[in-house]
Amino acid sequence: MAFFDSIGRNTVGGFAYVGGLARLSGRAAYFTLIGPFRGKALRWSRAFHQAMAVGVEALPILSTITFFVGLILALQGAYELRKFGALQYVAGGVAVSMTRELGPLMTAIVVIGRSGSAFAAEIGTMKVTEEIDALTTMALNPVQFLVTPKFLAMILMLPCLTTWADFMGVMGGAVFGVTGASFTFGGYVQATLDALLKRDIITGLIKAVMFGAVITAVGCYEGFETGGGAEEVGRSTTSAVVMSIFLVIIVDLIFTSLFYLLGR
Amino acid sequence: MSDPNSDKTLSVHDLRVRYGEREILHGISFDVPRGETLVILGGSGSGKSTLLRTLVGLQPATSGEVWIRGQDIAKMSEDELDETRKKIGLSFQGGALFGSMTVGENVCLPLREHTQLEESTIQIIMRLKLEQVGLAGFENYMPSQLSGGMKKRAAVARAMAMDPEILFFDEPSAGLDPIIAAGIDNLILKLKKAFRMTIIVVTHELASAFLIADSMLLINKGDIVAHGTREEMQNSTHPRVRQFLDRVPEPEVAEEMDYLQMLTGEAPPKAL
Amino acid sequence: MNIVTRQQGNSTLVDVQGDIDLYNSPEVRKIILEELKEKKVARLIVNLTGVRYIDSSGVASLVEGLKVSRTMSSRFMLYGLSPAAREVLELSRLIRVFEVYGTEQEALQAK
Repeated sequence: MAFFDSIGRNTVGGFAYVGGLARLSGRAAYFTLIGPFRGKALRWSRAFHQAMAVGVEALPILSTITFFVGLILALQGAYELRKFGALQYVAGGVAVSMTRELGPLMTAIVVIGRSGSAFAAEIGTMKVTEEIDALTTMALNPVQFLVTPKFLAMILMLPCLTTWADFMGVMGGAVFGVTGASFTFGGYVQATLDALLKRDIITGLIKAVMFGAVITAVGCYEGFETGGGAEEVGRSTTSAVVMSIFLVIIVDLIFTSLFYLLGR
Repeated sequence: MSDPNSDKTLSVHDLRVRYGEREILHGISFDVPRGETLVILGGSGSGKSTLLRTLVGLQPATSGEVWIRGQDIAKMSEDELDETRKKIGLSFQGGALFGSMTVGENVCLPLREHTQLEESTIQIIMRLKLEQVGLAGFENYMPSQLSGGMKKRAAVARAMAMDPEILFFDEPSAGLDPIIAAGIDNLILKLKKAFRMTIIVVTHELASAFLIADSMLLINKGDIVAHGTREEMQNSTHPRVRQFLDRVPEPEVAEEMDYLQMLTGEAPPKAL
Repeated sequence: MNIVTRQQGNSTLVDVQGDIDLYNSPEVRKIILEELKEKKVARLIVNLTGVRYIDSSGVASLVEGLKVSRTMSSRFMLYGLSPAAREVLELSRLIRVFEVYGTEQEALQAK
């Protein structure tokens, strides 16, 4: 009984959580899309700063990781493909896996670690030090002031980062292609371009936008849900990371299934 | 909507606030005349913080009326509330300065967000405000570089940025040494005299309360115990007032059997 | 709030009528700076007789006027301060920074 009870409780809790995320996203969307027409200015300069922090500063680590992921994909792919003497398909395999799946996913994971956790920590600390209340009493809506710039930054930057991740993954694959599979560099790039469909790239970018929205919503929501005390900020940060990874995987599954069904 | 108390800046009628099942404020009513300083006294758990949060619109009232500048904020939408909030200032207990901005940027923020003033004008206002709280020259410091007392002064400067009609203070002297705390009291007196601002101070510091108050409100467990001028409070014979002013500790649980039941968990503890 | 400028000998007078607050101080500022910077008047006298209340942004606008008048080496004077306005300037320690006169006559005749 206790088992079912806990399932029930977790299900209800899960719905409440997703409801909270949806409400927060809805309000952020209001301030992004509708607010400007009602005299509530968009904060482009804050969004720009966020975009720099989310995007540009993530480039070194993201480049390194996706470069290696591309190389790993090539090695793993080649391990199977060489049994059939089909090493020339390595380029296409890496390209499709990167653009459709691993580019957006690895980007999301790097951004969760760097920015999702930072959002939760920033807003959580502001909650604990009454800065959120201070914003409210100064007639500055905390969602408009803090969340909307983050949403804008993430929704714009994740596709950009993902594109870059795709490119670095292909470069990683090319290292194997040139050294281990008798490709010339130009030939590898050509094979990649031949294998890729526009659809592969677009589906990846759609996922990236969704991941950006999920990561922002979870990070900010966890921040706002922070109770009193510094240790609560740590807890929020941790659960922002865990919940973001979980929800990104769920969203990935939903969209991958959808694209699979649509692409038949 | 017309204001029944046009000479009052702040007027509260039968205010009740409930968190879930628990009622924190049980029907509070009082008025503050324009330009006067009201000190709200109470121990921890008395409901004084909830009262303050309700007065500035951070906590919605369950029922009752809160009239500020001729409008009942208990019945306002969030947008209307924002218009009222531009005319009040709140100095938070810990300052609540934005840690990512300099002291100057903190003071400038409401002006930049809410007015069409030129940046050069805003900079002058910011320096004026910092001068008025005794922090001239500190505009480029980060809040983390300031001491506790300086943070509170900076918070006052930020609360005053928009020239509020009502200035609220949450525990202005909490966590400060007596000399710095006296400095904050003097600042409050100076602001009151110079700007004729209506000032509401929530505190449990008696010495500071008697120094700055025109009138005082003692609340306990969500009810007003006493409300009167400084002298009336000083001379009050009300047992609760005397207990608070003379710093008599809370009496122990009266009934031994209640105590036993409380310890053994047989009966639910009495609701606060 | 209402602002009128008029010429009196070699002085330009700015008559301000009504309260100066966050919403209309930009206009006061604009007119003062225009007179000083563009018309390059030698003596600018601001008449505050009709001003009951002046907020920080109004004070800040006057400070800006004073600053500009210094760089243009013209004179910038105030007269007719209400007790409340005087007190605001006193608290900000500005009363001695400005040239403040009681009446228009005194301001006009000031050397």
